[in-house]
Amino acid sequence: MFCYLRRPALVWTHVTADSLIGLAYLAISVTLGYLVYKARRDIPFHWIFLAFGLFIIACGGTHFMEVVTIWRPVYVLSAAVKLFTALASLMTAVVLPFNVPTILALAQRAKASEQVTATLRASEERKEALLREVHHRVKNNLAVICSLFYLQSMHTRDEENVQMFRDMENRVHSMALVHERLYGSENLARIDFAEYAQALAKDILSSHGSPGPPVQLKSDLEPIIMGADLAVPCGLILNELISNAFKHGFPDSVGGEIRLTLRSGTDWKCSLVVEDSGVGIPDDLDVNRSKSLGLRLVRSLTQQIRGSFDLVKIDSRTSARLVFTVNNHER
Amino acid sequence: MNADFMNSAEPRALIVEDEILIAEELKERLSRLGFSVIAAVDTADEGIAIATREHPDLVVLDIRLKGEKDGIQAAREIREQVDVPIVYLTAHSDRLTVERAKATEYDGFILKPFQRRELQTTIEVAMQRRAIRARQKE
Repeated sequence: MFCYLRRPALVWTHVTADSLIGLAYLAISVTLGYLVYKARRDIPFHWIFLAFGLFIIACGGTHFMEVVTIWRPVYVLSAAVKLFTALASLMTAVVLPFNVPTILALAQRAKASEQVTATLRASEERKEALLREVHHRVKNNLAVICSLFYLQSMHTRDEENVQMFRDMENRVHSMALVHERLYGSENLARIDFAEYAQALAKDILSSHGSPGPPVQLKSDLEPIIMGADLAVPCGLILNELISNAFKHGFPDSVGGEIRLTLRSGTDWKCSLVVEDSGVGIPDDLDVNRSKSLGLRLVRSLTQQIRGSFDLVKIDSRTSARLVFTVNNHER
Repeated sequence: MNADFMNSAEPRALIVEDEILIAEELKERLSRLGFSVIAAVDTADEGIAIATREHPDLVVLDIRLKGEKDGIQAAREIREQVDVPIVYLTAHSDRLTVERAKATEYDGFILKPFQRRELQTTIEVAMQRRAIRARQKE
């Protein structure tokens, strides 16, 4: 033992403190090294971190040398380590001030990008609120059109005219219901057609609500998610099919049932079937030539959605089937 | 309609609906059900004022209204002052609003679009509930 007045307490205090400082410096530089290694692509000028790590390791080295020289007089090595530390410190001290503006700019950019993210999120929320509002207004305006048809129908005594207004009301309502579903939906762009079909069928049936024996609605619907551009024509077609089943299938107010089936198969193909237990279609009815507006609408709309449609008679049951494809990106 | 709440004159109804043409349709439908519609207004405040002043036999309230107060708040304020049957008007998919409305005192829900039979039964049930409440108080 060579120094510290040969007092053991003083010596051991120095040894403990120097060792701890050395270990801590080592740990810090290891962490820095790991950080730079992991984020070498994201951290700009990472060599500054490396210089800093080197400087800290060197500082740790000098402290270790303090401990060693208590027992062994390796003063040349100690001096070398100290000189290396001096150089590393000097280098870091000189280089760092030059980088201050860059670091400040970086901090500002980070802050700015945080603000941009917040602005983007706010504008996203505004967009969503606006879209919801638009769907609500479209739905409301269509509901007003329904009211207009109803009010006008009150001013005619002719049963055929009343029926005409009621048909128009139902058609517009089938469109309004898409928008109502849209603004109630999560992503504001797509709806579940099964839920929609259920609601629409119920509304159509109650609009035809005659005092005679009731027509029961049976439905078996698989959830199919689709965009508004497909849901509107599909809804209009469904409206025609259910209305037709109701009007032509049960002309004498006899009870019966309308069965609604929605299935999704392979290749995004879906089928929508409306079957009624009514009197059945006339044998001479040609779907492709029929002059009825309802069937004409079904034909055109089926063409619009690139689907296919057929109407078949099985015993006294009439089955109307629409097959169409839901685009991949829409599902 | 020939239930016992219609013993003397025509029952009086108040409509609070911000879409004036939908209110017109409702007016027409209610008068076909035997009501005389005393007013159709489009704000919650007007609705509250008329309901508390005129004590109608039925209040039909749209949940979404013009102005700061909505139909749910209006129902609450009307009920604090007078006991009238309150029927909410709402759309199918407004589930959140429906849940909120169900937490208040009301006598029925009418879904838009109005279906004749549904409208009639909802209103009949609402008025009978009010009659039962009145009898219990006596």
